Amino acid sequence: MNRTTRVKGTARAKRTASVKGTAGGRRARRLDPLSLTGLGCLLLLVLVALGSLVHAGGDPDAIVGPRLQPPGPGWWLGTDNLGRSMLPRVMEGVGTTLLLSSAAVLVTAALSAGFGILAGYRGGYLNELVMRVVELLYSFPAIVLAILVAAVAGPGQLAAVASIVLVTIPLMIRLVRAAAVAVAERDYVTAAAISGAGLPRILGRHILPNVAGTIAVQGTYALSVGISVEGGLSFLGFGVQPPQASLGVLIRQGGTYMMAAPWLIIGPGVVLVLAILSINVLGDGLRDRFEPRETRALI
Amino acid sequence: MRYRLAGSVAALALATSACGGGTAAAPPGTAATGSTAAPGFLAVADDKLPAGGALNVAVHIDSGAATGLDPQLADVATSWQLMSLVYETLVTVGPDFTPQPRLAESWENPTPTTYVFHLRKGVAFSNGREMTADDVVGSLKRLLAAKSVWRGQLGPVEKVAKVDAATVKVTLAKPYTPFLAALANVPAAILPMKEIEAKTLDPAKEMLGTGPFKVQAHRQDVSWNFARNEHYWDKGKPAADSLTVTIAPEEAARVAAVQNGSSALAALGNVDSAAMLAGAANVKVATQATTDFYYLMLNSKNPKFADPRVRQALNMALDRKQMAEVALGGQGKPTGVTPAGLPGACDPATLPSATGGGAAKAKELLAQAGVANLSFTLSIYSTEPAPAVAQVIQQNLQQAGVAVKIEQMDEASWSGKVYGKVPATFDAALSWFAGYADPGMVTTWWNPDVAGFNVGFMQADKDLNKLIAAATETPSGAERDKALAAVCAKVDTDAQMIPLVTRPATVAYRADAVSPSLYATEGYGNLLRLVADARVKKG
Amino acid sequence: MRLLLWWAGRALSSAVTLLGISVLIFAALRLMPGGFAETILGPFATPEQKAELAVRYGLDQSVFAQYGHWMAAVGTGDFGTSMISGQPVAAELWARLPVTAQLTLLAVAAAVLAGVPLGVLTALRARPGGGGVAGRLLSGLGVSVPEFALGSLVVFVVSRYGLQTSGYLLPAAVLSIFAISATARTTRDAVLNVLVEPHVTAAVARGETPWFIVRHHILRNAAGPVLTLTATITAYLLGGALIVEYLFNLPGIGSYVVQAVGRRDYAVVQAGVLLAATVFIVMNVLIDLLVGLVDPRLGRRA
Repeated sequence: MNRTTRVKGTARAKRTASVKGTAGGRRARRLDPLSLTGLGCLLLLVLVALGSLVHAGGDPDAIVGPRLQPPGPGWWLGTDNLGRSMLPRVMEGVGTTLLLSSAAVLVTAALSAGFGILAGYRGGYLNELVMRVVELLYSFPAIVLAILVAAVAGPGQLAAVASIVLVTIPLMIRLVRAAAVAVAERDYVTAAAISGAGLPRILGRHILPNVAGTIAVQGTYALSVGISVEGGLSFLGFGVQPPQASLGVLIRQGGTYMMAAPWLIIGPGVVLVLAILSINVLGDGLRDRFEPRETRALI
Repeated sequence: MRYRLAGSVAALALATSACGGGTAAAPPGTAATGSTAAPGFLAVADDKLPAGGALNVAVHIDSGAATGLDPQLADVATSWQLMSLVYETLVTVGPDFTPQPRLAESWENPTPTTYVFHLRKGVAFSNGREMTADDVVGSLKRLLAAKSVWRGQLGPVEKVAKVDAATVKVTLAKPYTPFLAALANVPAAILPMKEIEAKTLDPAKEMLGTGPFKVQAHRQDVSWNFARNEHYWDKGKPAADSLTVTIAPEEAARVAAVQNGSSALAALGNVDSAAMLAGAANVKVATQATTDFYYLMLNSKNPKFADPRVRQALNMALDRKQMAEVALGGQGKPTGVTPAGLPGACDPATLPSATGGGAAKAKELLAQAGVANLSFTLSIYSTEPAPAVAQVIQQNLQQAGVAVKIEQMDEASWSGKVYGKVPATFDAALSWFAGYADPGMVTTWWNPDVAGFNVGFMQADKDLNKLIAAATETPSGAERDKALAAVCAKVDTDAQMIPLVTRPATVAYRADAVSPSLYATEGYGNLLRLVADARVKKG
Repeated sequence: MRLLLWWAGRALSSAVTLLGISVLIFAALRLMPGGFAETILGPFATPEQKAELAVRYGLDQSVFAQYGHWMAAVGTGDFGTSMISGQPVAAELWARLPVTAQLTLLAVAAAVLAGVPLGVLTALRARPGGGGVAGRLLSGLGVSVPEFALGSLVVFVVSRYGLQTSGYLLPAAVLSIFAISATARTTRDAVLNVLVEPHVTAAVARGETPWFIVRHHILRNAAGPVLTLTATITAYLLGGALIVEYLFNLPGIGSYVVQAVGRRDYAVVQAGVLLAATVFIVMNVLIDLLVGLVDPRLGRRA
């Protein structure tokens, strides 16, 4: 599974806490061309995924021809070991993987925003409690965590989402909290508190907007981690249920046919790397564009 | 990931017919290219090659159970395979499934219920102590008293007695045709009873047998190191001086081991291994037919499948040929409850489900039963090719208007779900049995009172039980074939545990490192059955 | 004195976390479907055999009693016995440690030796306006390629040409792709952050040589995040690199624990998770110490 988040996290949290006050940094500007390309690729993949909903490439489960055929008419990306056309399967795989990862990331983002801001602003026991839970999840071996979740919840989409959330959330809470701590010390927050603004108002109106950049940026990273986690779970047999395709499932299957039928892995492999790469590049761009200097991450 | 079901199993992966590197996969049972294999063999070791040398093989799973290394309690084929290197049985099975002498040099069958075994002379355990009739009697008695799954396969044994120092007599309560086939499997191995009774040996922790190898070292889930048993009775065997069995759970790791030569021989799980390894220098891939077969469990204690017409309709809609061709890459064969490939097995093409009229008739039958829009969950474990078989089942049943949801889980969760509760709560499940060496043996598991593990989801059928008993009692011959066919037909219409297709086993080996012997068809999932014959090529 | 209190607090909170981990893993294992008895004894096991096994491993007692026994045993350094092998878990973990340790060492060494220079270089050569497309793409690719995809490819292709996949170099190389990319990215960012600080500008103004500036002003100040990252990677890998262990058939800690999950071999999973978590926490504490030494400003903030 992917260590991206963990790794980023510590670095980031540390740094965040320490470089407060460094001013300025790069000024807000448009996304750079590379990030825009990433965004474009991602939109394209979303289109492909939407296409699979209406079976634009055909029925992904139907056995349409002989097994292990190279690309040709009727099966433009070849057929798999059950004689199913790879084109609709890759399209479905993109959809499954993006859907699961983004659902998980939305949950992670929402929970992190809630707990991270509250812990960062209020501090005290609440902060201590949240940080203990986070550290607990953080130090639990990620892969065992994911497998336990999958086994307890029963393998499937729900388990995959839950695993991704649990693997990505410790880091995001840490970072959001760190960002919230930094923001909470600013004059305008103090001013709002002195002038009698209620807690919800301070959190919602003053702190949330200022940590939104961190959440958005981390969200993109978490998305790429999510895709890897989903793939890793499928690699171990705990992913989505057959016959549903996901990129992880397809790559796992294709990997065993690398020499005999390379088209089984090339399609999904390229798409997977493209997806994660686009998201990472977009994340970098977003960070440069939106994240306040003082809460800058270091990966 | 392993599967351990019913007595069998395991994984295996055994062997197949050989096809040389670069040639297309040959159908099961054909001879290996480049070697003139005898009938019934995929490959025969070249005994002109010098003996000696170290042999490395890779398998996917270690023997591992709370019952330890006691062969009498072993219930999965992967464990039998490892134990068979150290332990031997009175008789063994030949390539045509006839009983062959092993620790018994010969035997007589003076009455249908009496077997007299004449023990081989000069047999010693690997500690040097000579095997005696007491070891044989003690071992069999210990097995009969053990909580062993094999107890149910051994038949109605009434008495085991020593006649003289070299003769042992077994008396059955009634005739039992598979008796010798059951004696030929590892749980019936001859143990060093003197040491066990003196408590100087705990068979759960240590293996000490009369077989070609003795254990040098074992690290659970990592490897076994065997050395030749210097006291082995069959002089000149084992051909290799030592044998290392590496446990490599990941298929890719085993493929790599054969490709780069770090293993001379490896058990593979992928039915397309031949195509995968085409072009790899000196690698031969062989597909060994086995008597193991997949079967579909329809839980008749679940209201969805209480009506036999519903089960029969599903059975009718299944396309076993497509399962064999598509899910198993043409390496499996449709089968009835008597495993295809065993002499005397019934012809699955004549069964009611095969001649019933397919998906269209299935739809009619479901309508008659008053069932519309049937949907159910099929529980499987994730070891390939089970998911492939399940997906073909799903496609087949879709033709009959039945929606199948596949639920794939790890083996432990699967076992818990299928065997954990009585009555069971699942809808349907997929698994496989080892088919053993006599067509009547595995049919006993269709009697839940004998099998035990399926009481939670299977209704005992008195008529079926009678037919099963009759088939095991009838001596081999045309009459028994008829009795077996009757069992097949009854199991087919009963449709609680539905036999599907046989399970191929694949082996890859380095032609430049080893000249192995392999049966064309294997009954006990033992890829290493003839490993004592294998010649190591050096240089 | 304050420092001492701070460390005491840190130790206490670490202990609380470990306790939480122990409860979590203990509970999760018992919530998993599929009992140890069906799994370890197989479907043919009789109720008596199951009961016997339960008694032998104390699994017939209440979960609270089981947890209590486990904790008490752990306190005395006894990590229990594997139900599969009948061997002490600690001995097997110890036997597998060298595999995991060597993999970790090689991958982390590669990350530091290749990742840090790459990061510094790309940072120093970065143009304002976010250039370095190639570098960003490459390091992005490095952290993007899933381990199982890269690993499968390497195992298959390398073995096809008759080359050995045994040994630790190849698997460590697969692991290090991610580690190098992540380290390079972190270093680059850390260095970029330091570059805008006034003391660097001042040093440039004083006319110090670039190499001197890099060593004395930049590396020292950028070390914190890089060290933290290195520690995190180290701790993560010491917990076991499951997929690489499987693909290269290396008997490391990851595969031991995950196989044990599959067999519901409770003692093994519990010990493995506790060990990994302890390593993770200790690494974090150590790195805070180390960061404090290298860059006292950060140490005080920790």
